[in-house]
Amino acid sequence: MSLFSSIQVSASGMAAQRTRAELLVENMANAETTRTPEGGPYKRKDAVFSSETQSSPFSALFQNELATGVTVADILQDNRPPEKRYLPGHPDADAEGYVSFPAMNPAEDMVDLMNATRSYQANVAAISSVKDMIRSSISIMS
Amino acid sequence: MLDQVTGSLERYLDLLSARQKLVASNIANADTPGYQTQDIDFQSEFASLAKGQQPLTVMSAGLAGKPDGNNVNLDREARLLAENQMRFNLVSTLLRGNLKTVQEAIQGGPSS
Repeated sequence: MSLFSSIQVSASGMAAQRTRAELLVENMANAETTRTPEGGPYKRKDAVFSSETQSSPFSALFQNELATGVTVADILQDNRPPEKRYLPGHPDADAEGYVSFPAMNPAEDMVDLMNATRSYQANVAAISSVKDMIRSSISIMS
Repeated sequence: MLDQVTGSLERYLDLLSARQKLVASNIANADTPGYQTQDIDFQSEFASLAKGQQPLTVMSAGLAGKPDGNNVNLDREARLLAENQMRFNLVSTLLRGNLKTVQEAIQGGPSS
């Protein structure tokens, strides 16, 4: 039973939320992208989280099943049909003059980004609280 | 005297750190679909002073779930985080005082 593995759990949460925030920022940056290497407009990406038992090489001796961290299990593409806009002069316009833009709702991504930020901060708060506990148990020795 | 009191305090610190770890898990999994809030039954685990055993993890009941099956309540976890930390600081201060008393007895009175 070690407080240090709590830090590892919180760190896994921070890493997962950071990945999620990166995807959301990528989505917003590509809100108007009409060309991708796969062809067609950009597709939104979203992270799927799953819980996972934390282990590190060091903790093998003290392995226990108490703590579960989090990991990004999968990155999904949003398969909503693209949004068609009538722009006949656009180089990517189809025969009828419509251009396919990524189907994206900026409000949705902004709210998700705020959520990711808050969750990240909650994990940081957990780490600093555990650090304080470790410090006070070290002070028993003095 | 040293064994009994110090042993209880130590067990208390052990339980607190186990609980803090679960709180950290709950916070880390606040956005994981289907994750259920985990906790330990503090009273009964402390009463059964079975040394060296892992405390049992239970699912917290009575928490409102979200549509994705996750029932982590961040307010609850924030409260527990702060509460555990304060309890830990209190008990570690008590433990230090306890050990200091013994040290004084060994040295024959408060050291100058």
